[in-house]
Amino acid sequence: MRRKTSLYISVALIVGILIVANLLSSDYFLRLDFTEDQRYTLSQATEDILDELAEPVTVTAYFSEDLPPDIARTKSDFRDMLVEYANTSDNMVVYEFVNPNDDPEVEQEAMQNGISPVLVNVRDQDEISQKRAFLGAVIQMGEEQEVIPFVQPGAAMEYTLSTNIKKISAVDKPSIGILQGHGEPSINTLPQVANELFILYSPEELTLTDSTDIPTKFKTIAVLAPTDSIPDSHLAQLDAFLTRGGNILLAFDRVEGDLQNAYGRVINTGLESWLADKGVQVEENFVVDASCGAVTVQQQQGPFTMNTQVSFPYLPIVSNFAEHPVTAGLEAVIMPFVSSLAYTGSQDTSNTVKFTPLATSSEQSGTVPAPAYFDINKQWTENDFPLETLPLAAALEGTIEGNTEAKMVVIADGGFATQGGGQGGDNVNLLVNGIDWLSDDTGLIELRTKGVTSRPLEQVEDATKSLIKYANFLVPILLVVGYGVVRFQMKRSIRQKRMQESYA
Amino acid sequence: MRTIWIITQRELQTFFDSLIAYILLVAFLGFSGFFTWLYGSDVFFVGQASLQSFFSIAYWTLFFFIPALTMRMLAEEKRAGTIELLLTKAVTDRQLVIGKFLACLLLIVIALLFTLPYYFTINSLGEVDHGAIWCGYLGLILMSAVYISIGVFTSSTTNNQIVAFLSALFIGLFFHIIFDVLADSFTGTMGEVFSTLSLSTHYESLTRGVIDTKDLIYFFSLIILGIVLSEVSLSKRNLV
Repeated sequence: MRRKTSLYISVALIVGILIVANLLSSDYFLRLDFTEDQRYTLSQATEDILDELAEPVTVTAYFSEDLPPDIARTKSDFRDMLVEYANTSDNMVVYEFVNPNDDPEVEQEAMQNGISPVLVNVRDQDEISQKRAFLGAVIQMGEEQEVIPFVQPGAAMEYTLSTNIKKISAVDKPSIGILQGHGEPSINTLPQVANELFILYSPEELTLTDSTDIPTKFKTIAVLAPTDSIPDSHLAQLDAFLTRGGNILLAFDRVEGDLQNAYGRVINTGLESWLADKGVQVEENFVVDASCGAVTVQQQQGPFTMNTQVSFPYLPIVSNFAEHPVTAGLEAVIMPFVSSLAYTGSQDTSNTVKFTPLATSSEQSGTVPAPAYFDINKQWTENDFPLETLPLAAALEGTIEGNTEAKMVVIADGGFATQGGGQGGDNVNLLVNGIDWLSDDTGLIELRTKGVTSRPLEQVEDATKSLIKYANFLVPILLVVGYGVVRFQMKRSIRQKRMQESYA
Repeated sequence: MRTIWIITQRELQTFFDSLIAYILLVAFLGFSGFFTWLYGSDVFFVGQASLQSFFSIAYWTLFFFIPALTMRMLAEEKRAGTIELLLTKAVTDRQLVIGKFLACLLLIVIALLFTLPYYFTINSLGEVDHGAIWCGYLGLILMSAVYISIGVFTSSTTNNQIVAFLSALFIGLFFHIIFDVLADSFTGTMGEVFSTLSLSTHYESLTRGVIDTKDLIYFFSLIILGIVLSEVSLSKRNLV
């Protein structure tokens, strides 16, 4: 017999212990990350960045208090991440949390630093009110300062934090030349690309003249979407640049498409013959692909004009990538009016130049020779896509010109970085990964494409799909029913046996 | 330990000798399979190689099935008077409660094993994040364990199965959804407390593919609490 009081005391003790354990667990916890891409663990790139810190970095996080739990979670995630940064960097990263809503002066300071508040709905005593919430941070190292105006939850958090630390801590950033003067877009018109490049490099516009050579400070030059012809003297300078071991990223259009007039034509810049001499032939064609983007078309239906989205195979969505640092972790790149390329040089092992296709079209693709008129309302069938895996981008390594080792990345489309950037983040990633690989700095590639967001299922035929659906639905149920029937039969036969025994 | 295992085996045998196990398994697999493969945001509609659609439907089906499974555990023994017989044998209250708890948990694990074909199918159709899927299954098992311990507790308080079923559902509802809703309408500490109490917060954290001691401690606290309270309510009959 137990006494009531002793029973209640032991229950109260157990409840107390459980509550304390839960309270402690929010401060002292251990995390095991089982995701395939280690999404919630600091990546090697971050550890490298933190290892190289020469001076302490101060992170001032301006976060409002009393926010709804889903937003407050961003704050606790950010705090957890900062704790890990501090631990990994041996406390070279110092952080503090400030609540700007407490003090108008702090709020002013946050706004001056470039952190603008967002409005969130807060429920307070049966009333919904709007509250100005700050979710930003300022990162400082010595005189340098970077601002994260708004902290994104999830895997993007690590990327933002690490790249901003890298941006202010990197010393002697290598110069990247962005070629100008032949109709190429200026750096200012490519904000996303420029933003990524500024993390590791100092991109500079480079205009070639006949009298001066390319400055030696440039190790890598990017040639993006020229539209005018490039004089031979400039091409000779690029050759000289390769000869002394410089690297070139080349993204240029062999053909151009005009959606207004539904017409596509060839453009000649001189780069095509220059490249053909190096063994890379960019064809005068449009690659069409069953996996493609869409265009908006106005359709007249009776008295109404309707805007409809029509698949347009001239805008391939490329998702076939080689195992290569440049394409690591990429999911999909939109390449509007891309051409196919081929390697005409010798593929022998004796060849000193190594050609690697980086991106290819899908299993259902084809080519249309330029010039061509586009029929937007065309009904595309499988017969229009007889070819597969046409190379669209490639890497060249070796003694491309002269006797010095050099590297080149060739992408047979100039528009993908300049126009397609808004449609998919990976367009910019492909371009910047290319420059990283050419400049021997592949650390950020891993970080840039961390957190795979899409794991598409394979395409299967409708009949197979139905089979899979119903098999998965029915087989487990039938297994259960089958087991039940067998078990009952067995029981019954045992029972019958016993009954017979007792009668016998 | 041996005694517990004998009770567990006995209970499991009873499940499979009566219709309970079959009805539960067929209904669970029917509901889950239907919404995972045939209707709503099914696998092919979402087009992603993940079991997310299964996990979100199983989160609800298990919530409803478990009280139906646990309601008779102790209530029936009390009503029929067999509990006295049981406890006069060399079986302690704790052994009985844990044995019954384990039997229910094993049945749920068996039910989940029957959904492994889903995993193999999706694995053959695309690239699967294996870690996230195993953590998802772990989350389902822990969640079931919590509701089983709640169900065993409510079953120990009454000798009426319907009362046990409804009160288990009522208590479960708080952890399943009400705390989550409350958390959204409070800010600051109160919001955090409700958010910590909400089972869905911890379940979602697990299904991401990250095993966090915070979540494990939460689940095990509720399981232990349920089992201890059941034991207490059973032993009340002997109190002076």
